[in-house]
Amino acid sequence: MVKKLPVVPAGKAGSAAETPAHINWREKHPVITDVNALSPEVVLYCPEGAIVQEEMSDTFSIRLDLCKGCGICAAVSKGITMVPEYAGPKGIFPVRGDK
Amino acid sequence: MAISLLTGSDAAAHGAKLAKIEVIAYYPITPAFPAMERVSKFIEEGELKAQFVRVESDHSALAAALGASLAGARAFTVTNSQGLLYMTEVVYHTAGLRQPVVMAVANRALSAPHSRFPEQGDAISQGASGWIQLFCENNQEVLDNTIQAYKIAEQVRLPVMVNYEGYIQSHTLEEVNIPEQALVDGFLPFVRIAALDVENPQGINTVASPEFYMDYKFKQNEAMNEALTVIPEITKEYGRVFERDWSGLFEGYKMDDAEHALVAMGSMVSSARIVVDDLRAQGKKVGLIKIRAWRPFPVEALREALKAVKLITTFDKNIVYGVGGALGTEVRSALYNDNDVLIHSYILGLGGREVNEREIKEVIELSEKTEKQQTISEWFGV
Repeated sequence: MVKKLPVVPAGKAGSAAETPAHINWREKHPVITDVNALSPEVVLYCPEGAIVQEEMSDTFSIRLDLCKGCGICAAVSKGITMVPEYAGPKGIFPVRGDK
Repeated sequence: MAISLLTGSDAAAHGAKLAKIEVIAYYPITPAFPAMERVSKFIEEGELKAQFVRVESDHSALAAALGASLAGARAFTVTNSQGLLYMTEVVYHTAGLRQPVVMAVANRALSAPHSRFPEQGDAISQGASGWIQLFCENNQEVLDNTIQAYKIAEQVRLPVMVNYEGYIQSHTLEEVNIPEQALVDGFLPFVRIAALDVENPQGINTVASPEFYMDYKFKQNEAMNEALTVIPEITKEYGRVFERDWSGLFEGYKMDDAEHALVAMGSMVSSARIVVDDLRAQGKKVGLIKIRAWRPFPVEALREALKAVKLITTFDKNIVYGVGGALGTEVRSALYNDNDVLIHSYILGLGGREVNEREIKEVIELSEKTEKQQTISEWFGV
């Protein structure tokens, strides 16, 4: 039975953003370990705009709903560490390069 | 009605003007460019109210036409050979997004080696793209097919290519009957269907998971099958209104008692007609099938039309490497379980090599001499 679909392949606006696929393939995610060591330019380096500087302040936060885990932030700035994703009762994903 | 001397390019431009296109997006390429020049002149002189979009590549040209079509406009573009290949990604997008864009293609050989001469290889390369493809025999048909193309496209919601050969048709003057605008308006009413709607925003061409992709493709193919009935209906209606009969999916010329059928498309058809007339005068039972709709390929109707013949000779101005002539392959596959007929496929006229009555007659002689079923396409003139 063929599904009832629109003639022009289309979806609800914003449906792709509801569950961004790239966050599922993330092996590690960044954690701010020392906010004072963070260089503000890191905001510009993030390709997904996942690092947010609060308006008129020196506080930064990381939006994990946007982060794809590329690790550029940790490479360009101090004060950020990449932490392996926790995969439930099985423990930590084995990540290439980890000891 | 007014009779004018028009090139194939002019005829395509007149067809688009009469269809009241609203957007033309174009990137220059030889030999398709005179059609664009003529359309831009119509716009400049105020005869056509359309938006001319200048772009930086052929890929962008079709992308702009596709975007305009998604916004609800009647869109047109013109290209050939390398331009068509460069568009290929958007060619598939346009078909998959079910937009009734019409594209005139002045068929030219493909590189490498580089060639600017006529051949059908560019259109054949898009045979799996989901576009309806019509081939024109002469410049009158270029004009008439461009108008019909919009009606077909808008009815089945698939894009249409109107193919005419570079130079042989695109740059050669012929008498063309330009129909009255009022008649065309009556034949081709415009119902605007816009996929893009600011009141109801949606994502066009979003990712389709395996759960949905195949269903979309099934429906796209169903639309192509629907075109098998829609094309002859629209052609018949066009014939009633404009008093010119283009038959439908294909035309059988002197096929009633024919034992030997020639199958060809494009500019070779008019030469083949003369050859058929000559051979008929000598008492030979030869007929001609002119393929007008290359996509969808009219398998059922063709089987019916060819059921009484003993020998079929196909003429291909293209080569699908490792397979043979595309038309020969399709005809063979259409008649796959008919063991009584010999099907001989010939490749000729690649990259602008001469195909005239003489060449067609020589191919016919070769074909009639071959008594064994041919399994590969023969090259003529090499």
